[in-house]
Amino acid sequence: MERDLENANPTILNVSQLPSRQRKGPATRHGPDSKCDSIVFPQHHWPFGSSSSSDEGDDDGEDPVDAQDIYDLISTISDPEHPHTLGQLSVVRLPDIHLDPSPAVLPDPDSLITVLVELTPTINHCSLATVIGLAVRCRLEQTLPPNYRVDVRMKVGSHAQDDQVNKQLGDKERVAAALENDTLQRMVDKMLETCA
Amino acid sequence: MAQFKQWALEYVLSDDEPAQLEITKKAAKEIESSRASSTVVGNWAASVQQWMTPASADDDKMEDDDGGGSGDIIARAKALGFLAGTLEALDKSVLRSDQVLRLIGFFGAMFSYDHKAGITASAKALRQLYSMKNFKPNMGIKILDDVCKIKEDFRLQVAVTRLEIYELFLGLIQDPAVSSELKHKYGSSCGFVVDLLQVCQNERDPRNLMVWFKILALLIKDYDPSTEVTEELFKVFSAYFPISLRSSATPIGITADDLKEAVRGCFSAHHRVADLAFPFLIQKLDQGDAVTVAVKLDILKTIQACIEQYENPQANIVPHVEKIWNSLKYEVRNGEVKETIDATLDVLRTIARKLDGTKTYKLDVSLLKSYVDLVSRDCRDDLANPTYTKQAGLLLMTVISANIRAYVLYNASFIDTIRQNLRQPKSPSHTRDLLLLLNSLLKTRMELFRDRQQGHSDDEDSLRTESRAHLDTLFHDVYLPVWTDKIKGPVSEEKDVLKQVIQGLALLVSQQVLQPDGSAVLLCSGSVCSDICSLLISTITKGLTLSSNDNATEDTAVEDEAVLGLRTIVMNYTKGYSELASRVKAEIKSRDWANPSGYSLDALKDLLSRFTFIGCSEIPSNIATDTPRQFSPLQHFITLTASLLELFPLSPYCESTRGDEGASANSHVISSLHASIIWFRDACEAKYGKKALALDPSGSQDWLDEFKRLPEDWLLQIQRDVGAAGSALALQGDDPEVYRQFLKLGLFVVRSLYRSASAGARGPWDETALVQLSQMAALVVGRLDETLQVSCNLAYEAFNFFRDTTGLLLQTPSDLLNGLLTLGILQGLWPGAMAGLYNPGGFAERFTSGTPSFNTSRESDIRAAIGAILANKFKSGPSTPAQEVEVLKRVLDFWGDWLKKETADPSPADSTTFRAHCTTALNVIAGAAARQEPHVLTLIPALHQAASTPTPNGEILAASLGLIIKQNPLLTTENHAIVRRFHKQWAYAHLAKPLLQSAQPGSPGSDPLAATRCRVAVLSIVANCPFTVYQDDLAPLIRLLVTALGHRAGLSDETAWSQTVAALEVLVEVLGSEPEALTGHLRAVIGGATGVYQECAAAQKKGVVRTLCRRLALQVLGAVPGRFEERHVRAYAPPTQRVLAVACGDPVRRVREVARAARGSWAKVVV
Repeated sequence: MERDLENANPTILNVSQLPSRQRKGPATRHGPDSKCDSIVFPQHHWPFGSSSSSDEGDDDGEDPVDAQDIYDLISTISDPEHPHTLGQLSVVRLPDIHLDPSPAVLPDPDSLITVLVELTPTINHCSLATVIGLAVRCRLEQTLPPNYRVDVRMKVGSHAQDDQVNKQLGDKERVAAALENDTLQRMVDKMLETCA
Repeated sequence: MAQFKQWALEYVLSDDEPAQLEITKKAAKEIESSRASSTVVGNWAASVQQWMTPASADDDKMEDDDGGGSGDIIARAKALGFLAGTLEALDKSVLRSDQVLRLIGFFGAMFSYDHKAGITASAKALRQLYSMKNFKPNMGIKILDDVCKIKEDFRLQVAVTRLEIYELFLGLIQDPAVSSELKHKYGSSCGFVVDLLQVCQNERDPRNLMVWFKILALLIKDYDPSTEVTEELFKVFSAYFPISLRSSATPIGITADDLKEAVRGCFSAHHRVADLAFPFLIQKLDQGDAVTVAVKLDILKTIQACIEQYENPQANIVPHVEKIWNSLKYEVRNGEVKETIDATLDVLRTIARKLDGTKTYKLDVSLLKSYVDLVSRDCRDDLANPTYTKQAGLLLMTVISANIRAYVLYNASFIDTIRQNLRQPKSPSHTRDLLLLLNSLLKTRMELFRDRQQGHSDDEDSLRTESRAHLDTLFHDVYLPVWTDKIKGPVSEEKDVLKQVIQGLALLVSQQVLQPDGSAVLLCSGSVCSDICSLLISTITKGLTLSSNDNATEDTAVEDEAVLGLRTIVMNYTKGYSELASRVKAEIKSRDWANPSGYSLDALKDLLSRFTFIGCSEIPSNIATDTPRQFSPLQHFITLTASLLELFPLSPYCESTRGDEGASANSHVISSLHASIIWFRDACEAKYGKKALALDPSGSQDWLDEFKRLPEDWLLQIQRDVGAAGSALALQGDDPEVYRQFLKLGLFVVRSLYRSASAGARGPWDETALVQLSQMAALVVGRLDETLQVSCNLAYEAFNFFRDTTGLLLQTPSDLLNGLLTLGILQGLWPGAMAGLYNPGGFAERFTSGTPSFNTSRESDIRAAIGAILANKFKSGPSTPAQEVEVLKRVLDFWGDWLKKETADPSPADSTTFRAHCTTALNVIAGAAARQEPHVLTLIPALHQAASTPTPNGEILAASLGLIIKQNPLLTTENHAIVRRFHKQWAYAHLAKPLLQSAQPGSPGSDPLAATRCRVAVLSIVANCPFTVYQDDLAPLIRLLVTALGHRAGLSDETAWSQTVAALEVLVEVLGSEPEALTGHLRAVIGGATGVYQECAAAQKKGVVRTLCRRLALQVLGAVPGRFEERHVRAYAPPTQRVLAVACGDPVRRVREVARAARGSWAKVVV
């Protein structure tokens, strides 16, 4: 990959600055004095009998797919030119992910849901925008259930040729054809390597 | 003669090393037996004549004659090897000095005549001769002369031969006798050195270089060479600098670092090369970007080594200091690589230390002064420039803090400069950097103060007389104004400043000064310390004083820093903790805790938790303040516990508004007491070491008896007169007795709380508070050794709760409160301390048998826990009375009979009651099984029969059998339980294994329902076992697992799904440990897991168990592709992938994650 970078100095967010689910709930304090909190201020104060074994119950509540879920899926994709993730480079941003209709309000789990992801390239003439879009699309298609329709676009005004890029990304046949191309497929695989 | 000739011939013809060794030994023995008679030695030497003659006679011809010559050379070399080998095997004292000399002459001549064949053997022989007893120093000179005659042919020798010669040189040069002979002969002109350099100068082999560098360093150091020779020597080793090592496929045991170290040893060998070394190294450093980091580090370390090693700094270092500084300062000022910056600072620090003098001899102060002036001149202005503040400060700090003299001379002016800059900071980060510098200076002062006695005695004197005015005013002049400026609604950058201020304040309070009488006191006056404390205390009590709207920030960085700061402060300024305690008490008491908001409760929890941490996570140190005071290492612990006991109860009634799970204000106080015990225990363990605390025998003292004579507010009393003369608590901080006193106080606290809790109505004691008290009691009691537990009769107190009355003893298992209190003490007792409980009709029997009614499931949980402990901690031995053994047998029999009876009832009234008592029964059996009580075995047929009885209770029992083997936190060695290492194997073999056959579906002659029950029982047990326990029974077990996934008929919903969970858990385990066992069952496993997932996903009834089933089913599916060859799984890929794709939309997030992972692993299967 001996070539000049298109955007040599992108703005990079720290991993702790990225939106995450943990910080949405009431925060557990981790001060210097919190070492024995799990013993003296336990979440479940009854340590005996069968009720103590249900300590995993907290995470097992129903929690339908939301924008943060989609963000978590795609923000860890690597950028094709920088050693950072799309989340760190703000190519993927939480407010630009839309689920329609939201699974939370849907009575039937099998009804169709459209996921719209709007990408913001780091520079507006980024030639790798389509590759990034392709990777995002691949990732979502590999991880979402069959009743989700994926729509990946460039955010309006974020790319000089957003029309063309959107057209390419929206065309199923072109996407399928692109993935037939070994070089592109390898590149996308490389980008998805960092996804857990 | 003939004999030697024969041996020589054999040696030459032989290629076998052991055989050659044998021959040389024989020859050596022959010489030794003749006492080295001239004839024998002559014969021996002449034995190689036949190979020598042509070579020496017609050497030139040999060289031309390739064909015949090479054979001769090899033979000749071997013949000489025979002589060298004999010398090696020969007793070192046998040869006379004339013989040694003659042999030296012979072998030495080889270096002039026989460069092809003679050198290796001759070098070896000369080394042997050098080690002979009759070797004379002048012979060493001859050897050197002879060997040097080889001249440039030296480099044509193989590396091993050269190494032999280097070793020879090194041996000679470092031999004191030879060395003095050499010095006497050559003087400072060191003629032999020049020859040596000529011979060896082109060496490149790393192993040889290591020896060569050693020789060079010795020559410089010990031989006092003239300037010209020194220059020559310097040229030789400096040519190798910077040295590197090409990586080789065959490692030779020498690293590049070894080589660097060796070259460095030459540079720093003696200060006579100072005038050459420093300019050379600085010039290398100043090459700019051409120098890599590794080389830079090498240069810096070499400079440092030179400075450290050279003597007479005034003559050898001072002239170069300015140049070194001018070259090095940019490495820090503009440097980016941490390693080089650190190494540079090390050099600068070393210079300051060297210019100060040694421990015994101080140099003139002007040397150090002019150096520090030089540094200050360049750095001072940079402090005003935010870009360079940190670096300039670092440089200044390094030289000033290098030793006490520099510190005392310069810290005032440095602090003054910082102070001036702080008045006009350029940005918050500038302020932060300046404060950071100030703090490091204070930290350094502490370190210098601590180590004051390790240096020169003048150092301590200068600390005693140092001026303190600039330090005294730091709080009011520097820290307080910055604090006041930034504390109003700080943004993140200003928070960093505040954190620095807090750290600085903590360091300031920790500063000590020496009194004229030599004792150490705190630098700050009591009032300043108190002001600082109050500033920080307000920060941590803020949460409680402000309303939730005013204190919405989640970032607690400043508060956390204040907590750490206060902890450091009260370690030294111990009065500060009492101030904190009063403030905390006042703040908490000023609120009504009858019905507090969630915010207030959280604020209370945070405050108490911090209050506990500050006082108990470190043991305070004994430093005097301006007012004389008494001291005890336990004083903070006492203050804390006394304050918390005073605060309790915050509300006279237990709150019911927040539901069972919500902790109350009262419980927070108890939790904090519990935390204080944990923190202080950890502090003791960290300070004295776990072993020291465990080994200390306490003897038999009845603390409880002492407590009876003490007033209820004993803690408050001792808090007031801590350390009073004669008090048992007047201890020094480093005395492990502190730990025992701490336990005593802990037991006193437990006792007070137990008495309060058992005093009658529940009052302030809610469930959380009781659980915390119970666990705290377990912790304190568990830390006492067995003797002490016995002498305090704690087993009795488990039922009496430390009450003074004797009549109201708890007779039978009672409600939750009593149960928890009993459990707390029992949990901490050693088996040996419980002996009194097993009398016939005693506590153990009453508490473990019988089926009393209960109000809540919690009560039955506690009963089960008590049952498990009592059944476990029975120490049976040859001396145990038979009736006590009988008691436990009776208890076990009782439960066996009860289970049989209850399960026989075809239509039981109340399954909840049965379930609860069944849990108790199985816990009692589990307690006994953990110590492999043989009587448990007699119960097993009854258990098997009861479990397979076709009644609802039978099913409950079958599904619960796993409790016997389940990991129970109470039955662990930390809780002093008796746990045999293989008890799980034992229990499995007797309990589950016999059922494997009858559990198989469709086994001839068996009742299908009974088989189902047996399967449930087996799975319940196996799911609680580690894999190795059931590893040998995988084949029958897997059939059960597969059946369990698909068959839920004949079972209640609850049992059916818990059976499925167990089966899936075991499958996950098998897939992880021995997947090949499943190869033949893949279709059933994949089909079963898919079926379970689909059934759970489609079920209308959702719940934790079904979610767990879905997750485990997907986990099983996900584990399959990676563990089997593709041909085995290919057929199942398409349907499984479809199921997994749908599972990615599961309503539960954690299940979705597992589904995605599983989908990913199946995606790799090529269809």
